[in-house]
Amino acid sequence: MTDLKELKHDLETCFGTSCGLCERGCPVYQALRIKTLSMRGRNRTMLGLLEGKFDITPSVVKAAFECTLCGNCDRWCSLKNTEHTRALREYLLKHGVEPLKEHASILASVKNYGNPWFQPRSARNKWMKGLDLPKAAPGKQEVLFFAGCTSAVMKPLMASLAASAELLKRAGTGFAVMGQDEPCCGSTLQRVGQAEAFEKLERDNFDKFKALGIKKIVTACPGCYTTLKKSAEKLGEGIEVVHIAQEISDLVGKGDLKVRRSTEKMTYHDPCHLGRLGGVFEEPREIMEAVSDYVEMPNSRYESKCCGAGAGLQSAFPKLSRELAQKKIDEAVATGATTLVTCCPFCETQLRSVPGMNVVDLMELLLEATDDASN
Amino acid sequence: MALIDELVSAIGEEKVLTDPAELYVYGADWSPRTPDEIRPPEVVVLPSTTRDIQRIVNIAYAHGVPVTAGGGLTGMLGGAVPLFGGIYVDTTTMHSIVEVDPKNQTLRVQAGATLQEVNDAVNPYGLWLPHQPESKWVCTVGAAIACDNDSTFGVRYGKILNCLLSAEIVTGTGEVLELGHRKAHFTSSGYKLKDLLAGSEGTLGIITEATLKLEPIPEVRMVDMIVFHRMGSAVDFLSRILKAGLCIEAAHINCKRRLMFYTHAYRDKHGRDPEIPSWAEALLAIAFAGDNDIVKKQRDYALDIAAQFEAELVKEREIVDSWWASKYTLEFEPFKQKWPDSQGTKKFGAADPGVPVGRLEEFYHKFIEVAGKHDLEIIGMNAYLEHPNSIGFSLSCAVFVDYRSADEVKRFRMFHDELSKLALEFDGTMSTFMSDSDQKAPYLELEHGPSLRYMVEIKKLFDPKGIMNPGKKFPREAEGK
Repeated sequence: MTDLKELKHDLETCFGTSCGLCERGCPVYQALRIKTLSMRGRNRTMLGLLEGKFDITPSVVKAAFECTLCGNCDRWCSLKNTEHTRALREYLLKHGVEPLKEHASILASVKNYGNPWFQPRSARNKWMKGLDLPKAAPGKQEVLFFAGCTSAVMKPLMASLAASAELLKRAGTGFAVMGQDEPCCGSTLQRVGQAEAFEKLERDNFDKFKALGIKKIVTACPGCYTTLKKSAEKLGEGIEVVHIAQEISDLVGKGDLKVRRSTEKMTYHDPCHLGRLGGVFEEPREIMEAVSDYVEMPNSRYESKCCGAGAGLQSAFPKLSRELAQKKIDEAVATGATTLVTCCPFCETQLRSVPGMNVVDLMELLLEATDDASN
Repeated sequence: MALIDELVSAIGEEKVLTDPAELYVYGADWSPRTPDEIRPPEVVVLPSTTRDIQRIVNIAYAHGVPVTAGGGLTGMLGGAVPLFGGIYVDTTTMHSIVEVDPKNQTLRVQAGATLQEVNDAVNPYGLWLPHQPESKWVCTVGAAIACDNDSTFGVRYGKILNCLLSAEIVTGTGEVLELGHRKAHFTSSGYKLKDLLAGSEGTLGIITEATLKLEPIPEVRMVDMIVFHRMGSAVDFLSRILKAGLCIEAAHINCKRRLMFYTHAYRDKHGRDPEIPSWAEALLAIAFAGDNDIVKKQRDYALDIAAQFEAELVKEREIVDSWWASKYTLEFEPFKQKWPDSQGTKKFGAADPGVPVGRLEEFYHKFIEVAGKHDLEIIGMNAYLEHPNSIGFSLSCAVFVDYRSADEVKRFRMFHDELSKLALEFDGTMSTFMSDSDQKAPYLELEHGPSLRYMVEIKKLFDPKGIMNPGKKFPREAEGK
């Protein structure tokens, strides 16, 4: 947990600089044009709070939570703005602000069910039905395929997990899954400001991974990827964390997976957690170029615009969240592509919620191309 | 009815901000000031239309309340800081493109669109708005006009006034006026009231829409850096190549120290400052743009002439590219943008005088002397050519300012005042791209003499109650307040 006071120098630096370059890429600021919701404004709000210029007001709470933590502001700055926003959320909760009601329910669900979706733990088994996947056991495997809460319990997303597992199998990767024993990575807790709950969860998680003898975690979800990767750096004792796109693109590159290229024009949306925050840009594109007539969106890689689903925005500010999704779809349509591909369960659900484009999961797309190649 | 209630009733609750935390954010711009000098307004309004602004000004007029309009809040001298509280009008919520007319190379836009948004909108037509300050991602059309700020490409295209064909404003009485000459490039008819808007700092009215002249995007641009023994030699060289008939797109004379500020990306990558010959005192960044053959020919011709001035081309492209990224493209490495990186302890602060072209070097030495006198760390001088096809330049005399220290901010302001006044002794002007704001207001008569009275009368005609951005250009008492 970062104390707001520790950030004072950086908040003053932002005030002293006031360049505003963070505003151009900020999806929330660009949609609403309220300066308190830009990073420059949020930093200034935090400074005002620290200086005692005002107390915590509804606008301070709004400034803290009406943000997707997508990190676009960080791309244009040398300050760690996303960390500032997270610290502000933590500060507010620590200073008596009640969690937003939508976020409070997420917290309760993670505590009671081990996922943020109010689904029983056993629901995590559903996606594996009929796949005959080995269950992780102490000392029996080194690679863990980490399905993540969202895809595991939401029916429309389960196919992406099945595709990932099938691709790993076809490539001859030995791995296991945790099924209903798989914990939540804690990403959601961390992003809505529940620092203490998150820190306990991450310790418990890595104790479990170590007890199972895991050396490498392959995640299906970019949120799990960045969260587990950072936790592993602190607690993992050498456990490697990769996203499924990294694992599989490597196999495509080596020729372990034969694929057939489609002539359909497709584009790819960089999930914030995988791309800008996780630094994984090329591997998904290698797959896209192998399987489609690939076309890039104008805002891509570090400049990719958030789909609007992240950091609790979708639950607490649904209208704005949907507006951001529509903007992303519009950008994809303008490329002339007919399919938008991504590899994040949040982005997929979000982008499918607005009209205009066929949205497909990267692993499902690759599996289909692999099937075609073998026919 | 109370002011806030009237505003809510006129434009809607969602467009009126009154929470102290929100107001605080709108109380400062880019100019050097301590956090204690943040001046929050009493209320912030977020208009969508000219009609909204008219309603807001009508209410302010009835109550006699100050109205300060702002854009990106990247002004370097506090022009849009609401000194006397009142209503802050955030024009950035008015950012619609009204019309792109590619055949006539014009654009009609709401004044809150950023200069980058304008270029994003017209780029598909092969056109661009060449008024390009470094703040173009944030600086709005209205703010560029009201501040009369600088442009990287001034030597070819001039500043914003050279691009401005017409503008709609809401005066201090709430009247909506269109000033200018529609889509015609110039006029001989009437008084040129539109020109009054450049550098008006919102003191006459709020600019709500503008018709801008666009230019075709050149096919090729070549940017170089040439080092000279003296700043005066760089001026003579530019004068010579203009005489030769070359069409320069950008020309910036940096003193040696100033270059180091602009090559952040280079330093970041190599862990050291770029190496420039020890004898070089001036570095001219120069660009040519157009069809490839023409650009190449002009560049070669310019470099031939440069040799006659004992100047040398900077061969290390990374130095040039680093400067150009900082000045124009803003293509910084992710997470390594220069501004916050360079402003951690002290921030950039500048005076913006103009001096006769033959006295640049003499003034440069005065700048160093005055900065030293006020115990300010020197960033350096940059002379930007900003008059089309002519040698005229604006000057940025920059120092680092510890914005956490009230004493240093005060010394910076004394430095700014002294250089501004000194420029008059040089037969120059106090301001070339920041306007006057409240900084120069107390001594504006030094520049304008008896004509200042006419300016005050013009102000009264547009704003009889003195509610439009009071304290800027003239002390508030001069406006009868």
